[in-house]
Amino acid sequence: MPTCVIDGREVEFVPGQNLIEVAKKVGVEIPYYCYHPGLSVVAQCRMCSVEIENVPKLQPACATLPKSGMVVKTRSPRAVQNQKAVSEYLLINHPLDCPICDKSGECDLQDYSFEYGDPHTRMTEERRTYVDLDMGPVIVKNMNRCIHCTRCIRFGIEVAGIHEMVATERGNWTEISTIDGRPLETDYAGNYADICPTGSLLLKDFRFKRRVWFLKKTPTTCEACARGCNMEIHQDGNVIYRCVPRENLEVNKYWLCDEGRFNFHYIHDKDRVVAPMARLSGKLEVTNWDRAIEAARETMNAKKPAILVGSDLTQQEAVLLRDEFLPRKFPGAPFFHFGTPEIISSKDDGPADKILKRKSRTANLHGLEKLGYNGFEKLPAGTDAVLIVRGGRAVLPELKLSKIVGIGVFKRKEVESFAAVLPGVTFAEKDGTVVNFQGREQTFRRAVAPPDGCKGLPEVLMTWINHKEGAR
Amino acid sequence: MSEQERPPEQPFEDSQPETLFIQHFCEEARPLSYYLKNMSGYSALKKALGMSSDEVINEVKKAHIRGRGGAGFPAGVKWSLIPKESAKAKYFICNADESEPGTFKDRDLMRYTPHLVLEGMAIGAYAIGAHTGYIYIRGEYVRETGILQAAILEAEKAGYLGKNIMGTGFDFEITIHRGAGAYICGEETALLNSLEGRRGEPRVKPPYPAIAGAFGGPTVVNNVETLAGVPFVLNRGGDWYAKLGRITNSGGTRIYEVSGHVKKPGLYELDSGSVTVRQLIYDYCHGILDDKKLKAVIPGGSSAPVLRADEIDVVADIDPMLKIGSMLGSAGMIVVSEDYCLVRLLARIVRFYAHESCGQCTPCREGTKWAQDILDRIEGGRGHQQDLGLILQVADNMNAKSLCALADAAAGPIISFVTKFRADFEAHIRGGKCPHA
Repeated sequence: MPTCVIDGREVEFVPGQNLIEVAKKVGVEIPYYCYHPGLSVVAQCRMCSVEIENVPKLQPACATLPKSGMVVKTRSPRAVQNQKAVSEYLLINHPLDCPICDKSGECDLQDYSFEYGDPHTRMTEERRTYVDLDMGPVIVKNMNRCIHCTRCIRFGIEVAGIHEMVATERGNWTEISTIDGRPLETDYAGNYADICPTGSLLLKDFRFKRRVWFLKKTPTTCEACARGCNMEIHQDGNVIYRCVPRENLEVNKYWLCDEGRFNFHYIHDKDRVVAPMARLSGKLEVTNWDRAIEAARETMNAKKPAILVGSDLTQQEAVLLRDEFLPRKFPGAPFFHFGTPEIISSKDDGPADKILKRKSRTANLHGLEKLGYNGFEKLPAGTDAVLIVRGGRAVLPELKLSKIVGIGVFKRKEVESFAAVLPGVTFAEKDGTVVNFQGREQTFRRAVAPPDGCKGLPEVLMTWINHKEGAR
Repeated sequence: MSEQERPPEQPFEDSQPETLFIQHFCEEARPLSYYLKNMSGYSALKKALGMSSDEVINEVKKAHIRGRGGAGFPAGVKWSLIPKESAKAKYFICNADESEPGTFKDRDLMRYTPHLVLEGMAIGAYAIGAHTGYIYIRGEYVRETGILQAAILEAEKAGYLGKNIMGTGFDFEITIHRGAGAYICGEETALLNSLEGRRGEPRVKPPYPAIAGAFGGPTVVNNVETLAGVPFVLNRGGDWYAKLGRITNSGGTRIYEVSGHVKKPGLYELDSGSVTVRQLIYDYCHGILDDKKLKAVIPGGSSAPVLRADEIDVVADIDPMLKIGSMLGSAGMIVVSEDYCLVRLLARIVRFYAHESCGQCTPCREGTKWAQDILDRIEGGRGHQQDLGLILQVADNMNAKSLCALADAAAGPIISFVTKFRADFEAHIRGGKCPHA
């Protein structure tokens, strides 16, 4: 491989990689704002300018491809002076309202200003201010904090495929806005907040909820569709505050759709069934686990039971059902997977848009199919009881039956006709593996503890199997 | 006889060498018939079409035509950078967005000799193998747009433009595109963005326009005056054209535009490198208005670093100017007499660049406005002693640090004005007001 020299170190590089990436590999940080590995290079923040031997002007590292033998200095006096100057320029009109800014703590502008800037200001003129417009339900804009990196504009055009963010006016008066101040239309709007290097574009959903340094981060996989985007769950005190994408170039690159990003809200939904329920005196009511299990067993003690397994379950859960629970308790009973209306087998799954979303709105359709589950179309004739096991996202089919037992995560409304509900845990409350549409096995990681009344599927099934009649 | 009364036909001007353009700067010169009769119109194109493209490019290279837009890049070299084979269509663009303050030569070239520009474009297009041409003209040049449009129709009708030019099978069509009033669109990549219907912002280079310019195709962008010289090169030969220049590497004549406090402002066409700034001001323009003392000269459009009165014995051409730390740029000289406040002039210049910055690059977007605010404060008598050091640093921090040269264009004047005329700025700060007011 060809080599170049960065800050005195000889570095091998893959031709085509820019200086920022090459330097990153050997632990040399070149600061940047406008550059983003998933977007086109515009070289306009000028923060990444470095000195290259025998080149008179400083060169932006983001737009410079190393050549064999090139000698790069990222901390030469001229480069440092430029970093200082750009930091100063970016701050002269910045409101410095970090104490009330949600980006504070994970803000590129804050970090680089500490690292490369000067603690004193020489600006005595009036700062530039803007009047902000509503940007729709996902994003809140504070233009005063903007450093005009135009990542958002490029994200819209290049990734989301919609030219909705624009720069209006020019020069010092440039404003980053939507066309005619319209609300954002893309359903990938959350990414605008992720890529914004300052607190200019923030999630309305997360705003003023938690300082970021309190958040604990758990790498996990999104369960909102068959792509299985890699993401992180950020929680504090057992409450999930947000999900952010995690880089995986082969699955989701750097992005996450809004549906997946805000999917976690059902976990803390007040309508979630978090205690076992059973139809005791004709009415479904909250009870204890023993009674609920008893009611469930009674209900399922039928001539022709059928089992519906949500394609939002993990591989481990599906194997447990297939190999242990079903052969013991329901030998020979038909079992199906369900998840998205109209998507019966993996053949029906396909891209739902040009970016990330898949037609299957559950994460593990492809995995369950691999395990030998068949898609649910309709109940076999004569079925008199149904056991539904699901994770929380699979769309319940309409069943005209009175004998239904649910295991897993449900909303109160969904279980009105059920005979018993054994509350389970969501993807954020368990470990497990799902298989995405590429056949890639990815893991869920437990980020928060489940509510007291809920139990993981293995525990529920064990209780079911070992339950002694009248043990209470 | 005083300077003022001297009639224009002085022996001094009679001795001027033959000029290429300026004697045709009259309304009668505009029609095609005049161009054909008196300027051997379109004979150069005919000659070029009989040559190979390499021969044309070599002739232009020999002529040492340096770009008249400001950067001084040799036109022949620019053409030779265009790849011979290209999957995408090539474009030949005339940059008529003459927007540097102090510059007004292209306007007259287009107004009086539009066919010269069109012929130059056609020759260039043939040399690089382009079949589509654009004239990107600044929006304010309404009259010139009409004149060029009429000239294009005239030339197309006569078979000098359009399909199958003069029966040679070469096609070249020119479209006029009017700018919407942005200085930055005179920068060639911003011009291309604007032409494509995008926001007028300079692009990251590389790739250079010669490889991927307008609509992604190889593109040449030449200034109006550069192109107007091309027919002469073909007609009389590159060597003849190069010899018009009195110094090496700079061929042909050059139109100097002198404005400001001189007795006879206007356009002066002279052989490249044949005059000094002093000669231009005192001989050609008959000296300073009211015989005041000269204070300063901005030698090449408002972005050129200023010259003091004792620095004007420099030859007014590209390389000598660079040597003394200024630049010839578009050769638009702004002459300032002792009566005028230089702080006010600099504040106005910097205000212009702050207003015209596209806002992409941090140093330019923030620096130009900051500098403007500081200068406005000093000019208004509210400056502090530290402001001079501060503004020099602000200027230095935006100099040569952006995508294009706009920030440099603001930094050059700031640095040169403040260092060369520091006393004027200090007088403002100390006195709390403008001494000239």
